[in-house]
Amino acid sequence: MRPETHAVAHATALLELQKLGVCYDPGPAAAAHWVLRDVDLAVHDGEFVTLMGSSGAGKSTLLNVVAQTLAPSAGRIVFNGRTVGGEGMPAQPGSGRQIGYVTQDDNLLPWRTVWDNVMFPLTLAGRPAASDVERARRLVEQVGLAQWSGHYPHQLSGGMRKRASLARTLAYNPPVVLMDEPFGALDAETRAQLQADLLALWASERKTILFVTHDINEAIALGDRVVVLCGSPGRVVLERHLDIPRPRDPETIFKAPTFAGHYDAIRGCLRGGGRP
Amino acid sequence: MVHRSWIDRALLGAALLGAWEAASRLLGAYWISSPVLVAQRIASMAANGDLWFHGRFTLAEAFGGFVLGAVPGCMLAMALRRHPLVREAVLGVAGIGYGIPKTAMVPLFILWLGVGPGAKVALVATAIFFIVFYSTLDGVRAVDARLLGTVRVFGATELQLLRHVVWPAVVPYLFGGLRVAVPYAIAGAIVGEIISSNRGLGYLAQYGASDFDTTLVFVALVTVMGVVLALSAALSRLQARWLHWQTAQPAGARALGA
Repeated sequence: MRPETHAVAHATALLELQKLGVCYDPGPAAAAHWVLRDVDLAVHDGEFVTLMGSSGAGKSTLLNVVAQTLAPSAGRIVFNGRTVGGEGMPAQPGSGRQIGYVTQDDNLLPWRTVWDNVMFPLTLAGRPAASDVERARRLVEQVGLAQWSGHYPHQLSGGMRKRASLARTLAYNPPVVLMDEPFGALDAETRAQLQADLLALWASERKTILFVTHDINEAIALGDRVVVLCGSPGRVVLERHLDIPRPRDPETIFKAPTFAGHYDAIRGCLRGGGRP
Repeated sequence: MVHRSWIDRALLGAALLGAWEAASRLLGAYWISSPVLVAQRIASMAANGDLWFHGRFTLAEAFGGFVLGAVPGCMLAMALRRHPLVREAVLGVAGIGYGIPKTAMVPLFILWLGVGPGAKVALVATAIFFIVFYSTLDGVRAVDARLLGTVRVFGATELQLLRHVVWPAVVPYLFGGLRVAVPYAIAGAIVGEIISSNRGLGYLAQYGASDFDTTLVFVALVTVMGVVLALSAALSRLQARWLHWQTAQPAGARALGA
């Protein structure tokens, strides 16, 4: 281990996972069940990374560790050059207000209107500044919910709830946004619309995004880089730079000249890597 | 044409009252009094203040016991949220406490607190405590763990979680418990008064029966019925306001497909 070269190699990395491992029911080595092991991943500021993997390879677990709702059993998490979590450190969700997490369920508070949901994370830290309120209003408009802001979540469609959830996370303004199959449960039409909206928001907000999906098209359409986890315990088996120029249209991404190459590489990896 | 169910109810009620009145005219009012006699007595007792004198004791006992039972019941259930081991222990003991018929404890309460309002308040409080405790606990268990996780990631403190996620999720369950608890609170106060008292609506019923004054017994019953109905209606209105989010249909709502 040579710390100097290591530091130089990842000089621009915003978020770094080093030799990360997660094991449920730790104890005697024989009984330990490792979900993730020796995962190394560096994510750069403003990068859009899509994360794929066979089921059970620990994609959601990886996001939970980064979100700090789950403490890793091995390795460490470095954020902005500072170790924020790792083996033996307790999980501290919400510490530093650096992470936004959009889960598979929209997880809106059912007793708050769309607007109060969007403002909710901001009010947790005290009275929000006028500029934050203005930003939130702009985001609600951008996701097309301006006329729905007084409605409760149960009055909205699934796609609208997802938009509200997205606006809430972005209004909170964290540098890193984690997304766990956010569009998985939506119909194809709504999904394509939301993918396009997400790309537009990402271009204007310059967030660092870690996006889990099981849809190869989606992974290629959205990401700067795709990372594939496979096996049990899950490891990184493929990292591939997606060189398709932006702006991209998710609906016609398959027309890009390099699309087929990326698709085959990822699919081969998912098929082959699933076996031990 | 829209069917109006309140017309049916009013007709049925009028028929029952008519049957009561007819039976009392035919058989004599000695055992069963009559609606007219009861109404006349209520009017006269309301006018001379007797009804309010007795009613306010019953209401005060029920209210005091309600607060002293509901607040600790709710707080204990909320406090046990993060301590599953303590919760299991408390649940075991609470099961035994819930199993004891509360009226069987009245002699003990009288021994400790005398024959005054204290014993009635204690009776009501023990009954209400368990109802509210169990319903709040159901609500605490039903709090969505994923919602808690999401809000934690937003940097919420434990107190903010309790206030913004746990409490609003518990309120519907709490109201469910309170709806059951309101008639219980009045019933507890009445039972306490029947056992030993010299004032209150329970005392009125007891006194009326011992004096062969069936009209007075029915006056007490009708008054209690009115009080319970009024309190339940008030609770319903409060619930509709507080749980607006469950049923909300804002005026400007457009069809979702529009």
